[in-house]
Amino acid sequence: MTFVHQEVWHWQIATYLFLGGLGGATFAISALIHLFEGCDRKMLSIAVMSSIGFLVLGTIFLLADMLQPLKAIYALTNPSSWIFWGVIFINFYFIAAIAYVIPLLEVWPKLLPIIKKIPTGILSLLERFNNLAALVGSAAGFLVAIYTGLLISAAPAISFWNTPALPLLFVISGFSTGAAFLLLLSTFSNNEESWKIAAKLEELDAILIVTELIILGAYFNFALFLPTGARESAQVLFHSPVFIIGFFILGLIVPLAIETHGIFFADHTKKSRSLLMAASIFVLVGGFLLRYYVLKAGLYQFPW
Amino acid sequence: MVMDMRTCVGCQACMAACTAENQTPFWNEKFRTHVEDKAEGIFPDVRRVLLPRLCMHCENTPCLTACPTGATYMTEDGIVKVNYDRCIGCYACCIACPYDARYAYDGEDVKKEEEVYGKFTSHDQPHVDKCTFCDHRVSEGREPACVSTCPTHTRIFGDLDDPESEVHKLATSGKAQALNPQLGTSPKVFYIPS
Repeated sequence: MTFVHQEVWHWQIATYLFLGGLGGATFAISALIHLFEGCDRKMLSIAVMSSIGFLVLGTIFLLADMLQPLKAIYALTNPSSWIFWGVIFINFYFIAAIAYVIPLLEVWPKLLPIIKKIPTGILSLLERFNNLAALVGSAAGFLVAIYTGLLISAAPAISFWNTPALPLLFVISGFSTGAAFLLLLSTFSNNEESWKIAAKLEELDAILIVTELIILGAYFNFALFLPTGARESAQVLFHSPVFIIGFFILGLIVPLAIETHGIFFADHTKKSRSLLMAASIFVLVGGFLLRYYVLKAGLYQFPW
Repeated sequence: MVMDMRTCVGCQACMAACTAENQTPFWNEKFRTHVEDKAEGIFPDVRRVLLPRLCMHCENTPCLTACPTGATYMTEDGIVKVNYDRCIGCYACCIACPYDARYAYDGEDVKKEEEVYGKFTSHDQPHVDKCTFCDHRVSEGREPACVSTCPTHTRIFGDLDDPESEVHKLATSGKAQALNPQLGTSPKVFYIPS
């Protein structure tokens, strides 16, 4: 039995997985805020435009890592491959996100001349079905976020990845980074409404972090008691100070403490605002570190 | 294919023959076949184990499932191959393969191949590369390069479906076993332990 570190997917793919989760979740949460809390067009348009940006950037990282990126269209051939579904989900996401965000952009006077070039028929159709686009978009965002975990769990010889916990972990962590990014955005706003949303996002992120901790507990419990590469991988992570301090302490425990403090004790002052900003940034950095280290700790278990 | 580990001497002639036949990038230590040289047991009860390995041409093929482009395919004879024109080099197959049988034939290797092998090159573009059981030789009635080179008859090749063939008899003899059978990949390479 030999355990060998995978040398195939590096930080580029970790960045792609991070941006995929972040972009998918940011859009999904924005769309849900729209549906349940009403529509602050300025905030939501910035959020959705950034989420599209994250996904475009992520796709560039993915393509840059390929041997033949110009042939990427061939990826729509084999439906048994998760990458096939990833391409479908990401395109579905882009269509939903663009259809959703166009009517919202009308609040920006500088963009009006560009939007006015779109035929009024299409524009009024997009306006009319804006809620539907939000609903479809939240599903598309969720699918993109969970796909990042499904992609790497399809590895029979890397037992640390090949578990049902990994897609769950990535989708919850993705949504936590999405909530943190929206929280970060809302701290820049002085508007009373967006503070209400910030308080909701704070609660959402705290719940997501607790869920993530539960999944991590189950995941590591599984990995450490299995005499396979999964145990070796878990031990690699336990011996990585950046994973423990950067991801676990600073990326989960500290933001959870700040958010819990915010939910129960803080009034929304300038001080609590800077704390919230710090918590959001920690969650985002932690989200990247999680993916980077999970990829790094991928160990093949070869039978020789 | 059946590997008779009792007779392997670790000469690595199979690796050399494969490299020459299939123009694999030996300059970057990338090979389609390897000979693992391992020590087994605890002192003083130790022994050396030589395990030749290559693509297992699995019947349930994780790399084929993971390949989004259909570049990886199985021929009618059950050989798993890569269509270089379709391969985008996403490495999903390399991640999925439980037998370390795939590697990237990258842009740098394609250039170097021209330097080393001149005009007669078989890898005209970057792609993920793997063993083909030398199907270009097999279709002419010859054995794969590694098999015909092996001086100790460690590698035995033939039609597993033909009950009269040596490989069929050895594979079903009860002595031979597949690697990592618990993964359910149904490999077409069997090992007779030493």
